[in-house]
Amino acid sequence: MPISLALPPLSLYIHIPWCVQKCPYCDFNSHAQKGEIPETEYVAHLLDDLDQDLTYVQGRKLHSIFFGGGTPSLLSEQAVANILDGVKQRIEFEDDIEITLEANPGTLEYNKFSGFAEAGVNRISIGVQSFQLDKLKALGRIHNDDEAKTAASYAANSVNTFNIDLMHGLPDQSLEDAMSDLKQAIALNPTHLSWYQLTIEPNTLFYSQPPKLPQDETLWDIQQQGHELLKEAGFVQYEISAYSKAGYQCKHNLNYWRFGDYLGIGCGAHGKITQVAENNIIRTEKVKHPKGYMDLTKPYLNKVWDVEIDDRPFEYFMNKLRIKEPFYLDYFQQLTGLDARILEDKINRGIELTLLTKISDGKYQTTAKGIQFYNDLVDLFL
Amino acid sequence: MKNIRNFSIIAHIDHGKSTLSDRLIQFCEGLADREMKAQVLDSMDIERERGITIKAQSVTLNYKAKDGEIYQLNFIDTPGHVDFTYEVSRSLAACEGALLVVDAGQGVEAQTVANCYTAIEMNLEVRAILNKIDLPQADPDRVSEEIEDIIGIDAVGAVQCSAKTGIGIQDVLEDIVLHIPPPEGDLDKPLQALIIDSWFDPYQGVVSLVRVKHGSIRKGDKLKILSTGDSHQVDKVGIFTPKQTDTGILKAGEVGFIIAGIKEILGAPVGDTITLANNAAVEPLPGFQKIKPQVYAGLFPVSSDDYESFRDALGKLSLNDASLFYEPESSSALGLGFRCGFLGMLHMEIVQERLEREYDLDLITTAPTVNYEILTKDGTIHSIDSPSEMPAVNDIAEVREPICKADILVPQEYLGNVITLCMEKRGTQTAMSYHGKQVAVSYDLPMAEVVMDFFDRLKSTSRGFASLDYNFTRFQEADMVRVDILLNGERVDALAMICHRDFSQSRGRLLADKLKELIPRQMFDIAIQAVIGVHIIARTTVKQLRKNVIAKCYGGDISRKKKLLQKQKDGKKRMKQVGNVELPQDAFLAILKIGK
Repeated sequence: MPISLALPPLSLYIHIPWCVQKCPYCDFNSHAQKGEIPETEYVAHLLDDLDQDLTYVQGRKLHSIFFGGGTPSLLSEQAVANILDGVKQRIEFEDDIEITLEANPGTLEYNKFSGFAEAGVNRISIGVQSFQLDKLKALGRIHNDDEAKTAASYAANSVNTFNIDLMHGLPDQSLEDAMSDLKQAIALNPTHLSWYQLTIEPNTLFYSQPPKLPQDETLWDIQQQGHELLKEAGFVQYEISAYSKAGYQCKHNLNYWRFGDYLGIGCGAHGKITQVAENNIIRTEKVKHPKGYMDLTKPYLNKVWDVEIDDRPFEYFMNKLRIKEPFYLDYFQQLTGLDARILEDKINRGIELTLLTKISDGKYQTTAKGIQFYNDLVDLFL
Repeated sequence: MKNIRNFSIIAHIDHGKSTLSDRLIQFCEGLADREMKAQVLDSMDIERERGITIKAQSVTLNYKAKDGEIYQLNFIDTPGHVDFTYEVSRSLAACEGALLVVDAGQGVEAQTVANCYTAIEMNLEVRAILNKIDLPQADPDRVSEEIEDIIGIDAVGAVQCSAKTGIGIQDVLEDIVLHIPPPEGDLDKPLQALIIDSWFDPYQGVVSLVRVKHGSIRKGDKLKILSTGDSHQVDKVGIFTPKQTDTGILKAGEVGFIIAGIKEILGAPVGDTITLANNAAVEPLPGFQKIKPQVYAGLFPVSSDDYESFRDALGKLSLNDASLFYEPESSSALGLGFRCGFLGMLHMEIVQERLEREYDLDLITTAPTVNYEILTKDGTIHSIDSPSEMPAVNDIAEVREPICKADILVPQEYLGNVITLCMEKRGTQTAMSYHGKQVAVSYDLPMAEVVMDFFDRLKSTSRGFASLDYNFTRFQEADMVRVDILLNGERVDALAMICHRDFSQSRGRLLADKLKELIPRQMFDIAIQAVIGVHIIARTTVKQLRKNVIAKCYGGDISRKKKLLQKQKDGKKRMKQVGNVELPQDAFLAILKIGK
């Protein structure tokens, strides 16, 4: 007998596709924009796009909103206000909704932070990546360390929670370099730190012209010592690359990792929706290129597809196993509509490999080793 | 019949045999210019890619000679690599003559010499042709002298040509007509036809290349395969021009194909004799000597589901390749597969490549070995062709390894290098003589050393000038031991090797080091040990991987990251699980990669 799907929390992702220039490591859907961005036009399109997706809401309030990019901080305060007002007219917000906006730490951007806050943004995520000039240059970043520091103080003053994005394993980075970056970030007192290792992705400049990255042993030392440093500073790791002060986890990302639902609007945005009536799970993808997206003769939707029964366990665990919290077979059943008994062998294998641990009947968790060997762990469910 | 000429070309690789063949075909208008693909006779993709001939093939050409008569020239192509000597002798059995094509700049090569002797023993008329005469380094006088000196045939009036430019092509054709004798045979006698080669064609069934000795065979006849006694109706007979062309009849002296709806791949064995079903007492023609493989290796399908199709593929391939030997083998590491015997390393590579390409199989090959004779203490002799068959050390009284006689021709300046190499390979010099600029040197060498990388090493140490021919002569006592590889304490049967005790220490060390390079780091340390019996001769460790984790995965990343993980999983699938350790396919051939 099929198990009925339950409706998880609903988030909204808004993609802003423009950047001043493309970074060599970035594989996101971003386009270098010369001159003014067509924001008035784009805002109208975003809300039109959202209108088409309203059937997916199914009576839910919005749990979180995330402006990602590209560089959302290129938008004016007014544009952000218009978007958020438009969204609120269409979908009710939960009382404690989290609204994050990704920002570059440039002068032009941080001067807008208080305006963004007035528009409703209550969390700013600053893409610092490093505080060392040579590293920033290698990463193709256009800001410097002072700007990053100022941006952090502006964020602290305008919204109560902010995140710093920091990378490690950068070209020619030593253990000391990485620790210095981390200490600097901690000193700015963010509520959240996304600290992730640089990975060379296909379709990036780094992929075709690979930089010289630190040795495995150095990377390991960076990770071990960095983790300790963060712990001492009161940051708790709750996901492979995400650390936060107690109570400041990113609700939006957590919803992804808990296999929640999300609408995606804007160029190339992805959505994932549970359809209770149809007892189905779908994924959506919007038209990627701004030109095609803003073409009035074409639909926003590029494609939509079902998450097939066979793919559901993998997609569920691919997300869920990234976070350091237990998973319950009950929730698995509700969120995938599948009988959890199909997992038995795989879970046992995971336990055998000491990547998973059983807490009690129907309750399991990724081990510390499972976090390190996440790829091998999710492999079991593929 | 007096206007038929059957001939082969004996030539060393790169001495221009294929180009010359193409020229002859073109001259006799066997193919329109637009049909001339590069090297028409090498029809297998592998042959064209590697620039070598593996299988015998024939082409029938009509040539109007200067005497005004039209001659039917049947040219049977032969392979040129040392591994395929056996195929050469089959081709020669269909001919009355052979062209010895020698590069006028380079001179005679060892293997050409060996093939020439085979032709002379078979009473063929051997005609020397000096090719590449257009090149500035061509030295026809010296090369003629060398041919006379080393091979002992008359080369004074040898035809000089350049297959590349077309100079002297007609002279070659005239030489064939004038000097190669016509076939002898009796059209009125009962049919006797020799199967030179058979291959399986998915649309036509078994196609056999035959040389008719006596009588004739027509479409519609009922033929009989002498060894099996099976009868079949002839569907098609004809010649290759080089396109397959039906003629309805093949007569005494001619070379062509027969298709008789034979579905069983062993229904028309190479070397067998074909006659007509109503001919009662016909003698079989002298067939071919059954050749013994020199190198053995295990071949295993990567996926055990492919075992059945692998067996079928080997069955089909062995029809075209009588020298391929196989029998089932089971390995604890690799599952079910076949132990296969090959003529040499190139043969092995080609068989694996053909199986993978033509039959769409994904195979793992284990390290090649030769066969050994083992005398156990109870007085029995065991012939083994796999390290895993080696009896326990305590039971062995004596190990005997195969020894071959290697004939090498090398320009004087590289003689020192060649001698050094032969000594390193445990060789004993048996003869040496000087022929102009070249030196003929013979060694008794352990077959195990020759079949591995000797040929490649010989080529590189002599800048490509040394050439080699070798033949098994005898088994001889040797202090051979089996070196086992343990991964985390578990013996991996497919990684074992047999080698001389003097080399066991160093090779065990090199093998362990090579494995360390080839085995990817995993979630735990992997201890690699090389042992003889219980005695550890080398050990090393593949340090554990610290982590294997996708750093970032958000809502929009699902599809991309999923692809990445899928790719990683596919990569793992191609690995073989031995205990907890995942071994890449390369690891099983690590022994061949030592020192490279």
